[in-house]
Amino acid sequence: MRDAYLVGAAQTDFGAFPRESYRSLFSTAFEGAVDSVDGEFDRTEVDEAYVGTLGVGGRQLGLSGPAVTEFVGLDGASCTRVENACAASGTALRQATLAIRAGAADIAIAGGFEVMTDMSGDQTRYWLGVSGETEWERMSGTTFAGVYAQMADAHMAEHGTTREHLSRVAAKNHANGAKNPHAHLGFECSLEDAMNAPGVADPLNLYDCCPTSDGASVAILASEEAAEELTDTPIRVAGAGQASSRVGLFQRPTLTGIPATTDAAEQAYDEAGVEADDIDFAEVHDCFSIAELMAYEDLGFCEKGEAGPYITSGTTEPDGERPVNLSGGLKSKGHPIGATGGGQAVEVFKQLRGEAGDRQVSGLGRGLTHNVGGSGGAVAVHVFEEGWA
Amino acid sequence: MGAYLSVPSWWRNLDGRYRLELGQCPDCGAHTFPAEGACVECNSTADFETVEPEGTGEVVAGTTITGGAPPEFADLQTQEGSFGVAVVELDEGARVPGMLTDCDPTTVERGDRVEAVVRRIYEQEGIVRYGVKFRPMD
Repeated sequence: MRDAYLVGAAQTDFGAFPRESYRSLFSTAFEGAVDSVDGEFDRTEVDEAYVGTLGVGGRQLGLSGPAVTEFVGLDGASCTRVENACAASGTALRQATLAIRAGAADIAIAGGFEVMTDMSGDQTRYWLGVSGETEWERMSGTTFAGVYAQMADAHMAEHGTTREHLSRVAAKNHANGAKNPHAHLGFECSLEDAMNAPGVADPLNLYDCCPTSDGASVAILASEEAAEELTDTPIRVAGAGQASSRVGLFQRPTLTGIPATTDAAEQAYDEAGVEADDIDFAEVHDCFSIAELMAYEDLGFCEKGEAGPYITSGTTEPDGERPVNLSGGLKSKGHPIGATGGGQAVEVFKQLRGEAGDRQVSGLGRGLTHNVGGSGGAVAVHVFEEGWA
Repeated sequence: MGAYLSVPSWWRNLDGRYRLELGQCPDCGAHTFPAEGACVECNSTADFETVEPEGTGEVVAGTTITGGAPPEFADLQTQEGSFGVAVVELDEGARVPGMLTDCDPTTVERGDRVEAVVRRIYEQEGIVRYGVKFRPMD
């Protein structure tokens, strides 16, 4: 099998940018990714482009892929828009990897964008709800926070997870995000403040929830032959896993985990020939605090039910054995739905190349990204390794 | 702007909306709600036997929506305050999402017994949609 290499990656700032369009955001991310390539990158050589977006706001629902690739001079390249809710660009990343592995492309880009902050509150709540199970779950009156709150409720009852365990996710990720110049909410948040924030959907409060953001991300992937011309610091996509599950929580076999995460991780670990213990650091999908705790368990970082004690142990802090969400995660860095999975790859790219600035952790050789769509209907997990195969 | 469910798409599900009709899998015997698609237990696509449940069960996960409600439930929240939403495991085994009613939602806990009652869900395109909510049993 041909290997795919990550040779460039960049993201815009995540935040609220009323003067930007979805196209200008994508352009900023794309040009940043081009600039991050060590060698001379010729954009006319892009064979395949995969662009993730949910299409929040409905602005360009049809042909939203070509609408951004034309803007950056990729006119003519094969372009596919990918929709997998919040896992859109993680899915795009896997599609680009598969295209290269299959020999259908030598150079492929995977990216995503979303504009979420320029709408009324009603519009935002409508669009946030479209990725839940619409006919039954949504009609029971729940929000996205509500579905994750139900998982938190069950996790607390079954495993003794506490208010403090949840808030430790917020405190850690804000501390990390405060060092990330691209972060939407780049400020620190004490454990006490996180625990005492106003309620949203019991047991989740405001600091258990990520913001909605504007932003874009782009990753450039290349075959080994093409990568040899483009980079001196190769980062190999060692494993690319993806799985789906029931869209509605009520139809899944468990309320306290995301089965598609376990399935996607198993594929990615198998491809990479590694186990969970071999992962040095990870960017996981912390759309809500409970989601990061469940990710620890579903990815195999700790035993089922042990996520609370695991975060309390400090293992996932920057100076711990396995830092998680060094970028600040969705919680602090922000969550522009279609750009999030690509943004996770940007952090892994920077950390593995030693380009993460104030938040750089030394000695990292293998990183994982975990991107969840909806409340677990789709999940993409990637394992990246420094060096040639 | 609420989630859009057309009148015909609501109408085609009335057996589920009013009576929580379940589908029993002929291969493994498990019950699936709603009574269509693949079996939640074994993914069999063999035709379900339809079963009308008792409408009683227990809360297996719940939340109280105190922050912004979905737009179609914003009026309800304004008028009645925070409301509860639960996943209920019916006595037949299927799990159903539903709003809590006739109670203070903050007092309802996992393991509490509830029963299905038909209530107004919301209004769209000038037509009131009715369906099941769950009420705590004494």
